[in-house]
This record gives sequence, structure tokens and C-alpha cells, in this order.
Amino acid sequence: MLLVPCPYCGPRNSSDLRHVGEAISRPDPNAASPEQWRSYLYLRDNVADWNVETWYCTRGCRKYFKVERNTATNEFRDPPMPGNKIGGKA
Amino acid sequence: MPEFESAIIKTYAPNPGASMFLSDESATTKLLVRSDQAQFGLVFGASSAVGEALICATRPDEWLILGSEPAVDAAAAGIDSGGFTNVIPFTHGRSLFRLTGAHAAGLLEKICGIDWSDAMTPEGAVTSASVALTTCDIIRHDRNGIRSYLLMCDRSFGQYLFDALLDAGDEFGISVE
Ligand SMILES: [Zn+2]
Repeated sequence: MLLVPCPYCGPRNSSDLRHVGEAISRPDPNAASPEQWRSYLYLRDNVADWNVETWYCTRGCRKYFKVERNTATNEFRDPPMPGNKIGGKA
Repeated sequence: MPEFESAIIKTYAPNPGASMFLSDESATTKLLVRSDQAQFGLVFGASSAVGEALICATRPDEWLILGSEPAVDAAAAGIDSGGFTNVIPFTHGRSLFRLTGAHAAGLLEKICGIDWSDAMTPEGAVTSASVALTTCDIIRHDRNGIRSYLLMCDRSFGQYLFDALLDAGDEFGISVE
């Protein structure tokens, strides 16, 4: 089981989330060359190391967020954890 | 508004020796507020009674008002309609169940990955998670000191989830109330 630190819900089983993939920036479609666009669509670094990824909290808060994961060890680094994730009665 | 019809269409024989209870509360009026404004002073994960209604912060930008129709209408008067705010009637779109019993957390632990200890999900806590592979909003809402949870899912999954909860509750002596 992969425990993914959602910044809103706290640590969650990865089955509650969707792994969107490596976080990459979208080039300007009006300015990008075909090579840049193809690279954006298809090419990934696929490192066996620390990697910034996008996750989507499907079953929880329905938010996209970025987090750093070591793809070799499945550790998460400096995750955007909330100070107090479940509030109880206000 | 059309007349309400619950997704739960099966009938269940009560279990006389039961120590855990599941009830269909789908007819409860439900109003959903999606907004980029802070609402009711409630942050994601918290709930609060406003009059006879229960207001739950179900997502970082989403609030759910539950109760009788007049109670929900009264609570809705407190919605901040500034910014980008949508108010959506949800009564017919969602199934709502109540699971009550001292071992209710033990049942949920079988079919949901959330930590149901008092430290993580105290009375009033609101969370969203997969319950028997169905996306649910779950509210800890104890009754007379007995552990109780409200579970809300898409109407189309209602009958399935109701039966899944009964199946998981069998070992705890569950009964439909
Ligand atoms: Zn989340």
C-alpha cells in the first residue's frame, strides 16, 4: 500500500487517489514547435529517484496536488501536509 | 419538487438481538453549497448544528446542509452568495444512511481506509473516502453517546452500499432499523 499525503485529507491509501503522472508544464500551443508539443504529450523523464508528481484525490477532496515521490522507494518528501487535517466540531 | 423515492427498495426482516443498526435516511433534505467563499465559518473536515440543521464541510470548497426542509431552508439563509457560489438541491441525487452502534467503527474499518479512532475522527468529523469502493461523504454524528455515522453516496450506488454495509455488519449483529 502506498500512503499518499493529500494536503487536504492527510495520508490516504493510494487506491483513494489517481496517479496523474510526472508533473510537467504545458507549453504555449501557439508558440511550441512540433517537437516541444510531442515531448509534452509523450515524453517523460521516468527517473528511479525523487520525482515531482501530480495526484488527484478521487475519493476524498477531489483536488489535484503536486508531491515529491521517490519512485524507487515510494517515500514522499516534504509533503504538503495540513497542520490539522480533520477538524471535528468547529 | 417530485415526491421522494429512496434507492432502497428491498425490505429487510429486523434482527431482534441486534446491537448495531443501519437506517435509510435518504429522505432527509440535502442542500449542497459549492463556493470560493468561506461558508458558515466551517473549514473542511468540520460540522456544526445550525438550528435543527446539520452543516458539514465536505470538501475544501463544498458544504452540505442536512435536515428537515424548513430547517435546511432556515440554515440556507446564512449562505454567503458572494464570489462564485452555487447552491444545489441534492435530496434526490444522494442516498443517506445512518450506522449506529458501539462497534460501528469496527465495521467501517473493514471496508474503508480511514482511521476511525476518536483521535483522528472525533464526534463532528467529516471526511470523504471510498467505502466498499463507493465514494462517500462520512460524518461522525453520535446519538445519545453511542457512536454513529452518516454515510452519503450517489443514489445509483445506494442499494449496493446498503447491502454491503449489512454484509460487513453481519459479524457485529447488525439490523435494519
Ligand atoms: Zn484529498
